[in-house]
Amino acid sequence: MVNITINGKLVQAYEGEMLLAAIRRENIDIPALCHHEAVEPYGACRLCMVEITKNEWDGWKNHVTSCLYPVEEGLIVNTHTPTVIELRKTILDLFLASSPHSTVIKKLAAEYGITRTSYEEVPDSTDCILCGLCTRICDKMGFSAISAVGRGHGKEIAPPLKEPPPDCVGCLSCAYICPTHYIQFTDNGKERTIWGKKFKLLRCEKTGLPTITEEFAAYLIKHREIPEDYFKINDLSHRRELALKMGQITQWGREA
Amino acid sequence: MKARLIVNPNLCTGCRTCELACSFTHMVGGKPGLSRIYPLDGGFKDLYVPVVCLQCEDPACAKSCLVDAITRNPETGAMVLDEQKCVRCMACVAACPFGCSLFDRINNLVVKCDLCDGDPACAHFCPTKALEYKPIEEHILKSTG
Repeated sequence: MVNITINGKLVQAYEGEMLLAAIRRENIDIPALCHHEAVEPYGACRLCMVEITKNEWDGWKNHVTSCLYPVEEGLIVNTHTPTVIELRKTILDLFLASSPHSTVIKKLAAEYGITRTSYEEVPDSTDCILCGLCTRICDKMGFSAISAVGRGHGKEIAPPLKEPPPDCVGCLSCAYICPTHYIQFTDNGKERTIWGKKFKLLRCEKTGLPTITEEFAAYLIKHREIPEDYFKINDLSHRRELALKMGQITQWGREA
Repeated sequence: MKARLIVNPNLCTGCRTCELACSFTHMVGGKPGLSRIYPLDGGFKDLYVPVVCLQCEDPACAKSCLVDAITRNPETGAMVLDEQKCVRCMACVAACPFGCSLFDRINNLVVKCDLCDGDPACAHFCPTKALEYKPIEEHILKSTG
């Protein structure tokens, strides 16, 4: 265990964990748009910026992204000093210029007292803040169907050649994880469309209810060694079948 | 894994107390539909089977989870889902052969039985002891795996 001070309170943190984890455990609310437990920290949004210092640093202070800074013995962390708040305001101001229509950004900026950007709004703006969560989760899951393409102003998240991605299985994890809900998809219970690719949904043989996409099931069967039969019916039918099987066994016991 | 949740359908009356106990323990408001245990029709007269996660030895839910959000709690032996890690891809819901990985549409959560961290509320409230959480002797554990 490592001893650190967060906002004047002495707390213990696990060795090797990042500051953000220790701060969140203390129920201190600091914004972080590009952070998710399932993927490695990335430090793209810069909103989790905190002020750090140590007693032996002679009053020297530094501002770091807490999601990327590992805990150290004797570290003194302040999450809401005027400078940190000013930094966060500047970052949110810039986000508001690049994504002026995103409700998530607008709400977060309003919490910090910014309702209008002081910069010039980007003309063809999108809600994408290029945090890379979608590409990171896609890589982590082993599909790598989407990636960042282009540089500078033209940088965006897209499938290869901006065509329907061959490696995408339509699991919708990228759409779920997107902090600004920018990634769009449609799902009508029969067909699912994301990144311009159409997927057919598997249907329960008994109830007819949709489960996951055919491609995703095929991936799990091939790479995760899940038997093919498991995907024939949905969870409700699985439960009913289990109840009937266990019921049959119990009945044999009763008759005997 | 020294204790198991033992289901004895012979003693189950289908009173659904376990369902209520589960809902009140895990969900705000205690809606029976959001329970992780389901007493279902066993197919014969007066026969009900409480269907609950079996905490498999070789669990399909954990195998299908591509972000390793489902891990075994070494103390209770339960397969526990980390909500912070879960990305709602529904792989475990589709892959579980017993249908005990559930999706809660209201709160947009994937839920499964976690044995209440070693003190299952369903077993506490079961009036007929059809559900029992009790320690198992070493030699039985070895022979059954």
